Amino acid sequence: MSHADNNSRRRFLRAAALATAGLLGSGALSTGERLLAATAPGADPGDPEVPNEEVARILKGLFGDRPIRRGHIQLDMPAAAEDGRVVPVIIESDLPMTPERHVKAVHLIVDFNPDAHLAAFHLTPAVGIVSLSTRIKMKRTTWVRAFAETNTGDVWADYTRVQVLLNGCG
Amino acid sequence: MSALGEARIRVPDRITRGEVIVVNALISHPMDTGFFRTVEGQPIPAYFVKDVVVRYGDQEVARFEWTSGVSRDPVISFTLRADREAPLSMVWTDNKGGVFKQSANIAFVSA
Repeated sequence: MSHADNNSRRRFLRAAALATAGLLGSGALSTGERLLAATAPGADPGDPEVPNEEVARILKGLFGDRPIRRGHIQLDMPAAAEDGRVVPVIIESDLPMTPERHVKAVHLIVDFNPDAHLAAFHLTPAVGIVSLSTRIKMKRTTWVRAFAETNTGDVWADYTRVQVLLNGCG
Repeated sequence: MSALGEARIRVPDRITRGEVIVVNALISHPMDTGFFRTVEGQPIPAYFVKDVVVRYGDQEVARFEWTSGVSRDPVISFTLRADREAPLSMVWTDNKGGVFKQSANIAFVSA
């Protein structure tokens, strides 16, 4: 593919994404998600719905029936990722990292990726604070979920929706 | 492009005892998902770093489990409470048994 072709394709994709973003901003879809999410155990209004069996199975396997609450973890990603092959991720938490109380694992789940449980970061108090960053692949526009699991069994979550313009997973 | 498995770890130049430092690490690896094909149409098999172990001296301080969803030439930044002078070593293991190692020295500035 020549550079010129590539550029015009990118302009088209960007225009398409902006149009999609406009539709999503209308609120019809997000209201539906909020209503469904409210029925999940421990879910806050505004949490994204669990989209499929795969993500449900991963969550069940990781956290069982423990409540998943929003807070104490922050997932930062771009609202729109032009290239799904390289999407930056920053995860931070204000939870303590002491021998008595600490985050023992951070899990990253990307709803519609082929391997939705994308990464697990097992931590010890020696890291001092929870502050991680990396770059990931995303197949399509979807919710991304970050979870902090403490040594005392609490599970904290943050969610962000990322628009993906170019499929990064093949 | 660097050779496969070539890794770098960057820590701050000046570290004081007890400080929480940011560690940046990078390894050269294709992180193939197994879903792509070559230009000739041949499938490219999955080939990715699946496990990263971080040791500070003799202590394992973090372990990362990755899939091919981590981008090509994976970067990771994390923190470390630098409370003693010791090497920080990392071992990346891929799904074909490749093992890649790198280390950086945690040393304090003299007052």
